[in-house]
Amino acid sequence: MEFFTSHLLSFILFFPVLAAVIVLLLPKGNLKVIRWTAFGLSLVPFALTIYLWTQFQAGQPGFQFEDQVNWYTAINSSYHVGVDGLSLTMVLLTTLLTPVALLASFSVSDRLKPYMFLFLLLETGMLGVFLSLDLLVFFVFWEVGLVPMYFLINQWGSEKGEREIWKGVKVQARNYASLKFIIFTMAGSLGLLLAIQMIGVATGSFDLVGLFSNPNWLNSDNLRLVNLLGLPLGTVKAIAFWAFVIAFAIKVPVWPFHTWLPDAHTEAPTAGSMILAGVLLKLGAYGFLRLVLPLFPAESSRYAGWLAFLAVMAIVFGAFSAYGQKDFKRLVAYSSVNHMGFVLLGIAAAARAAGTLDGTIAMNGAILQMFNHGLSAAGMFFLVGVIYERTHTRNLDDFGGLFPLVPIYGGILIFTSMASLGLPGLNGFVSEFLVVRGAFGVGLNVPWQPIIVYTSIAMLGLLFTGAYILKGIKSVLHGPVNEHWAHGEHKLTEINAREIAVMAPLMALILVIGIYPAWILDVINKAVMTVFH
Amino acid sequence: MSIPLSWYLILAAVLFCIGLYGVLARKNAIAILLGVELMLNAVNINLVAFWRYLDPAQMGGQVFAVIVLAVAAAEVAVGLALIISVYRRRKTLVADEIDLMKW
Amino acid sequence: MTNWIIWLLPLPPLLSFFLIILFTNKNRPLSHGIAVGAAGLSWLGSMIVFVRALGTEEFGKHVFGSAINWLPTGTSWLTVGVRIDPLSAAVVFFVAWTVLMIFIYSIGYHNFGQPAGDHDIKGLPPHGATVADDHGHKHSVPSIEPMYARFFAFISLFAFGMYTLVVSDNLLTLFVGWEIMGLCSYLLIGFWYGKKSARDAAVKAFMTTRVGDVFMLLGIAFLYSATGSLSYNVIFDPGVLQTLASRPAFLGLSAAGVIGLLLFIGTIGKSAQWPLHIWLPDAMEGPTPVSAMIHAATMVSAGVYMVIRMFPLLSLDAHTLTFVAFIGSFTALFAATIAVAQNDIKKVLAYSTISQLGFMIAALGTGAYVAAAFHLVTHAFFKALLFLGSGSVIHGMEHGVLHTGEHVDAQDMFNMGGLRRKMPITFWTFLIGGFALSGFPVLTAGFWSKDEIFAEAFGTGHLLVFIVLAIAAFLTAFYTMRQITLTFFGEPRTKAAEHASETPWTMTVPLIVLAVFAVGYGWVGMPGWFTGGLIPNWFHEFVGGTLSQPPETLPFLGVPVATSLFVALGGLLFGWLVYRKVESAEKDFLQIPLLKNKYYFDEVYAFLFVKPAYWISETFSSVFMDRKVIDGFLHSVARFSLFLGNAFRNYFDKPFINGLIGDGTGAAVKASGSGLRKIQAGRIQYYMVVSIAILVIFALLVYFLRA
Repeated sequence: MEFFTSHLLSFILFFPVLAAVIVLLLPKGNLKVIRWTAFGLSLVPFALTIYLWTQFQAGQPGFQFEDQVNWYTAINSSYHVGVDGLSLTMVLLTTLLTPVALLASFSVSDRLKPYMFLFLLLETGMLGVFLSLDLLVFFVFWEVGLVPMYFLINQWGSEKGEREIWKGVKVQARNYASLKFIIFTMAGSLGLLLAIQMIGVATGSFDLVGLFSNPNWLNSDNLRLVNLLGLPLGTVKAIAFWAFVIAFAIKVPVWPFHTWLPDAHTEAPTAGSMILAGVLLKLGAYGFLRLVLPLFPAESSRYAGWLAFLAVMAIVFGAFSAYGQKDFKRLVAYSSVNHMGFVLLGIAAAARAAGTLDGTIAMNGAILQMFNHGLSAAGMFFLVGVIYERTHTRNLDDFGGLFPLVPIYGGILIFTSMASLGLPGLNGFVSEFLVVRGAFGVGLNVPWQPIIVYTSIAMLGLLFTGAYILKGIKSVLHGPVNEHWAHGEHKLTEINAREIAVMAPLMALILVIGIYPAWILDVINKAVMTVFH
Repeated sequence: MSIPLSWYLILAAVLFCIGLYGVLARKNAIAILLGVELMLNAVNINLVAFWRYLDPAQMGGQVFAVIVLAVAAAEVAVGLALIISVYRRRKTLVADEIDLMKW
Repeated sequence: MTNWIIWLLPLPPLLSFFLIILFTNKNRPLSHGIAVGAAGLSWLGSMIVFVRALGTEEFGKHVFGSAINWLPTGTSWLTVGVRIDPLSAAVVFFVAWTVLMIFIYSIGYHNFGQPAGDHDIKGLPPHGATVADDHGHKHSVPSIEPMYARFFAFISLFAFGMYTLVVSDNLLTLFVGWEIMGLCSYLLIGFWYGKKSARDAAVKAFMTTRVGDVFMLLGIAFLYSATGSLSYNVIFDPGVLQTLASRPAFLGLSAAGVIGLLLFIGTIGKSAQWPLHIWLPDAMEGPTPVSAMIHAATMVSAGVYMVIRMFPLLSLDAHTLTFVAFIGSFTALFAATIAVAQNDIKKVLAYSTISQLGFMIAALGTGAYVAAAFHLVTHAFFKALLFLGSGSVIHGMEHGVLHTGEHVDAQDMFNMGGLRRKMPITFWTFLIGGFALSGFPVLTAGFWSKDEIFAEAFGTGHLLVFIVLAIAAFLTAFYTMRQITLTFFGEPRTKAAEHASETPWTMTVPLIVLAVFAVGYGWVGMPGWFTGGLIPNWFHEFVGGTLSQPPETLPFLGVPVATSLFVALGGLLFGWLVYRKVESAEKDFLQIPLLKNKYYFDEVYAFLFVKPAYWISETFSSVFMDRKVIDGFLHSVARFSLFLGNAFRNYFDKPFINGLIGDGTGAAVKASGSGLRKIQAGRIQYYMVVSIAILVIFALLVYFLRA
């Protein structure tokens, strides 16, 4: 038991790899066994996370359940994992969404084994980012997550569709999307890797706990180790800051680095989109929380205005773009840009005023918004997938009047859409309210006027959130009974029990967080207070 | 001592040249082989002559001559066997026509 | 104990919603049983709370309330809770009654007990069923609503929202209820989603109110940031209010002024005030008239309730109050002028609602806290009565339409006429409601509440507001009488109207109950001068106690009372005289295009806001910006990389690496090989010649070089 508890995080982290290997060893022909094995095994990390949640001491400073093994002694990098309130919520989200996504993948039968294998590998990649306390290990997991997702989009993505990249040159959409996804993220990773190396060389360690305890980790003494160009200290730090920011901004994604997202989401298989929106985007935001703000407090504060500006652009243009889409999945994809904009807005406000009450509220809102968006976006993508599987179209013009045909599906879609819209009583409202409140408070009490302007402009995005959500509901469900899908070979079948089982945990959490958010927000709040005091 | 060393040497040289001529000019493989034999024997004459005139106390010259004879005998045996073998397959003894190895 | 009841007030409808949606949606009697039962429970709880509130001495200082921790914020918590003070007690009273009446009325309105329709499909109003009687004659009769259970689920959720809003002790849960009602109004307006007009109206309602909502959210964020709390207890603390009033914000306004304005914009959206009034008339697309009644009598009241609630804050900045008074009085007049030209019986009521809400807002703008609250309550009763009455009229007309098979618009007043004989209960109750709306003197509740507004506006010197409201009140009486005359008096103008029939008891009983309140509720607010001081103005004292400094009762003023009498009676008489004789829409002198088209606001907004929004969404942001600019840039990076790669390949790799180093080495070896192979003739004799020649050459070299 002692052994188990002290290595709990490593069990959670590497169990999916073990599961992936087990899946590989299964007989190829029996799809049912593969599906249930993968799903069943993916529940283990979730169960372990629940146990972790119960054992976790909220409010205790520092990291818990730390596990450290020497890995690369020559450069002083070690395999070091641990959780605090920030990462715990994200770990919960990941281990929850993976089984849900695997259950959603039961309709996949093409090359199922590698599919499940990649999916489980992906889980380890994502968990690694959330758990690692060593910059190099962080980076390794950061990259590990990319590869399975690339193949999932590239191999299991939608087969139809072409994209004209420039005049006369057309490529298959899923190839385009997967390549754009991986190249875009890798391009950001370059700067990240350089900045990490800079930190490693300068401080002689990649350990985050050490770096957090030393606010002057880069000073004039160790600067000369890395400063080949003779730049001043502030410039070096600013460059490193932006290298981090751009890497994470691409992943979030922040306007104007967002264009990979609609493509990748649209082309990815349903479960891939769920994980992509549910967890992968959170990696970027988590990067801001875990690395950027604690390592570069001064720079974060100085450049918070830029972050807020980009956040507002994402909120407003994400909402507008979502409204302009004809493809249901693209609409939902753009909604992610819009919602993640609120995360960044909260982060920007908190960056400016770390440690104040308003900053704490904004940060609470941002983190809760990450969790909430994980639930509602995954749900939305799944619901799009449900209808796409049946109709083989995502074009909103082909739908309309489906409500009488699929009333249960319709009810679930409206419920999830409302969560995405931020209806009070459901989860999205709590986090968006906290972000707006925190940002406004920072503007008023710090004071920092620009963010009041930004928040006010963000309201335009909030307004249009309503517009695109209603557009989705209206063009799919409402309208006179759709005769095309009502009879014969096109007859639309109602959402089945397995699909309801996928939605049930998401909807339950959406409602529970909406009504009583304190159980999760308390953990977040205490973590924020200890990390950003 | 009436005959000087040079005479032997001249004899050997003439003999060598005849052998060389035979090797280079003749087309018949057996003739070539005969030329080689002549050259070997020219060398033998030289060896024996040098031994007798320059250092009779040493046995080297004679020994070498005997070895050459032995080699020559082996050579003839192998050479003739090859020639017969070639002749059986190709029905010719003209060296130019035996060009299987030529690119 | 009381606090527990208050906590539980919103819950029965919520449970009812989930029960119906999840379990009983196939069972119609059970569904409406649950819904009405839940509404009844909430009603019972509300009455208990109300009675206890009445029994409490100086209730304004000893309000009911409790709170729990809800959101952790740093080291503190945001608390939410419930609170019943005199204002919310008055509101919860009318909410409980009207909600219960709506629920009962809905059973009859949706034709419970009638057969399923012949061709009815979900998403469209029922079209009627054909039944054969004992003699084999076929009749068309109304058919039951295909989505009967769903309707009760939605109005249950709606009731939950309204109760939540009223019992909240803070702005956050008020906003929760506010938005849940927004969702329900969206669902109910779009209830018959098969109709395009209903779909569009639903979206329009949601989006227009959301414009107000986002401002309100900003206001809440501002208030919360500035005071650190959203509880009424804290924000209405005189010290906190003083800080807000003295804290400068933007545009020369104080923080209190800005917060007040932002919150008030929320009300403009919710209570359909100009310039966000456009959604309410379209909201009549919902099931007639139940959702219309919800939108007109209940939900829109929430907006006014909120500003009345926030009055201590609003009153801190004179600019805000002026703005409020301006919007209110302008809307009151503006909507009344549109109402006179409408032919749809529900549209008239819709514009009348906008106008009456303007009265309340204007009253609040002049500082008449109690008058606004009083009109809110009386209006809720008589407007609920009117809407349910109009629904009853339409229902009766639809019966006639089915009976005769005549295809006429059952909502157009020019197709009616003479209905007083066919539908007596509906007629008398509608008449009471209409007179209350017009402010018929002394008897009706509307007279007393409107009179108080006039008196306050006049007494506090807001002459302009007073005049504008007087004109609006005159128009109100006029169009009300126009409506009553066209609908009930004269002779039937269509066959359908001849065969209209009275509606079932489930619909008429709510009408009668509400008619009682439309008359009787006015008496609780009779001013002292009328009763000669025998009975104090109970409502004034009760609700006035909500404020920390209860407002003064105004002395008797002759001018407003005279005005009030004149506009009410004059308007009614004028309406009667004009429309007594009008036979068809063509002969109506008020069919002015400008008014019929509501001053072209929809068209102007479509041009100013909707079209640009479409353009930005569909052309600019995702296509031009993302695809052209950002992706274009990325693609040109990709293209440049490709170009660079090709250039390296074609001009460096190919000629130098491949050509010179790779292939070049090979070619050189090959060339030398093929050159040299010539000497490998395979002729031993040739080799020997060469070797001897070389030997000779070397020998000669050695010989000569040594020399």
